[in-house]
Amino acid sequence: MSAAPVIETEGLTKHYGQHRGIEDVTISVGPAEVFGLLGPNGAGKTTAIRTLLDLIHPTAGSARVFGLDSRRESVAIRARLGNLPGDFGYGKAASGREALRLLARLRGVRGGGRAETLAARFRADLDRPLGQLSRGNRQKVGLILATFHEPELLVLDEPTSGLDPLMREEFLALLDEERERGCAVFVSSHELDEVERVCDRVGIVRDGKVVAVERMSDLLGKARRRVTVRFADAVRPGELSDLPGVSDLVVGDHRASFQVEGDLDPVIKALARHHVADVEATHPTLEEVFLGYYREEARS
Amino acid sequence: MTAQLGALVATHLRDRRRSLLAWGVPLGLMSAFVVAIFPSVEGALAEAVEQYPAGLKEAFGIGQLTDVEQYLHAEMLSLIVPLALGYLAVRAVASGLSGAAESGRLDVLLSAPVSRRRLCAAGFLATAIELAVVLAMTAVLTGVGSVLSGADLAVGAAAAGFANVWPLALLFAALGILLCGWSLRTSVVTGAAAGVLVAMYVVDLLGRLDPDLSELRYLSVFKYYGNAIEDGIDPLAFCGVTVAAIALAAAGTWLFDRRDLAG
Repeated sequence: MSAAPVIETEGLTKHYGQHRGIEDVTISVGPAEVFGLLGPNGAGKTTAIRTLLDLIHPTAGSARVFGLDSRRESVAIRARLGNLPGDFGYGKAASGREALRLLARLRGVRGGGRAETLAARFRADLDRPLGQLSRGNRQKVGLILATFHEPELLVLDEPTSGLDPLMREEFLALLDEERERGCAVFVSSHELDEVERVCDRVGIVRDGKVVAVERMSDLLGKARRRVTVRFADAVRPGELSDLPGVSDLVVGDHRASFQVEGDLDPVIKALARHHVADVEATHPTLEEVFLGYYREEARS
Repeated sequence: MTAQLGALVATHLRDRRRSLLAWGVPLGLMSAFVVAIFPSVEGALAEAVEQYPAGLKEAFGIGQLTDVEQYLHAEMLSLIVPLALGYLAVRAVASGLSGAAESGRLDVLLSAPVSRRRLCAAGFLATAIELAVVLAMTAVLTGVGSVLSGADLAVGAAAAGFANVWPLALLFAALGILLCGWSLRTSVVTGAAAGVLVAMYVVDLLGRLDPDLSELRYLSVFKYYGNAIEDGIDPLAFCGVTVAAIALAAAGTWLFDRRDLAG
């Protein structure tokens, strides 16, 4: 028997008057699972998160977190989760430590939990007023406030926005550790590589609807990657054009560029017959992932 | 639960500590100045007041201005202090709700196991304390002005006059919560509440000036404000306005609890 889901929504819908927020969102997130909500800005990711947290009330449908109703039992739910809002702010005058002190008292956490350890790890300045910190440094404080009490569920809205690459890696490592600890993570992002790094499953949001929920590996399998290869010797176009999944092939002087859909293995093996001087495979963009997904849908 | 409320109230007051000084000290100094100059203008005032139109004297509660208490009421407690404190109350309560929503703080606080009702209650309670502190500072500085100038201000009467402002201002704090249930833009909340504050004052003024409009005064909380420095605090009015403020705050909390907090 599988464990009870941490998050379970059923037809969750939110309209702002005539405007669309989210439409009929049905998802389930299990314990110790990292679930990504992936979609472009304005797709409805933040609305979905705010509805789960009872910051906004659904027009229709329901959401349960830890088996509790997200509207009627939201205080009990929030006792067990950590949340990093999108575009984290806490006013300009207060310092991170002041915010932490209040949140620790509200949560009944003595001694600030693991906040100091996290502050050292992220090199976060908890003593300066938040108004004097850069966006990235404010975001670090937000991450500490969301995680210091070792919650059972982390809800993160665009968590790496503003973080430098080093801190971004550190944060993604922290998410891995949280999963190891048994914490479920519900994270929204519009950056595919970030989601790919940490998520077990991903829901693709488009125009307020979750158009697909896929395992990460399945999703990437449907997307096309662009591959650019520089050879030490000449290569014939026919060697590559006949390979399964290859398209948009351009062969030039000791150089080939093409898109690959699906399994990369036949391509790598074909390339290996030559002396490869350099190879670059770039991630598909979010739009390319969408295109890949819709192509697959059209075929089926 | 009490620990949460205490933590929220303490944080609200700490965040507003500059405001306590920014409002309490100028109002106190102004009031002290009014009291301090009374001995030197007393004679001229009595003559001037005799020349004032009866309606003007009625409107601003000016009697003979033969004692410092009447002068303090006419100069400070009939207009400036209640309007200033009413506005301060709206600003204070809005800073904890609409202001917190604008800065992102509300999202952070509501990530913790705190109900919106408790946030509203904390904002209301902290504002009640803030108003009491500002009024106490104003009263103390006024007393100091009296002692230094030898104006011989009656301490009990002055204390009653300042204390009587508290329920009136608290009503506007409650109105602020009610307005936050409607809008989370601080400029809208403070603007609308300030408009109601001034409108209530004008309605009461018109009702006092024109007997045909006297019924309009029931629309204004200033009808129940009176002149506590002369007549003492009317316990019924004091408690009635306080209860009305609590009821209005409860209605505002009900609205705030049901509204969307859009990001």
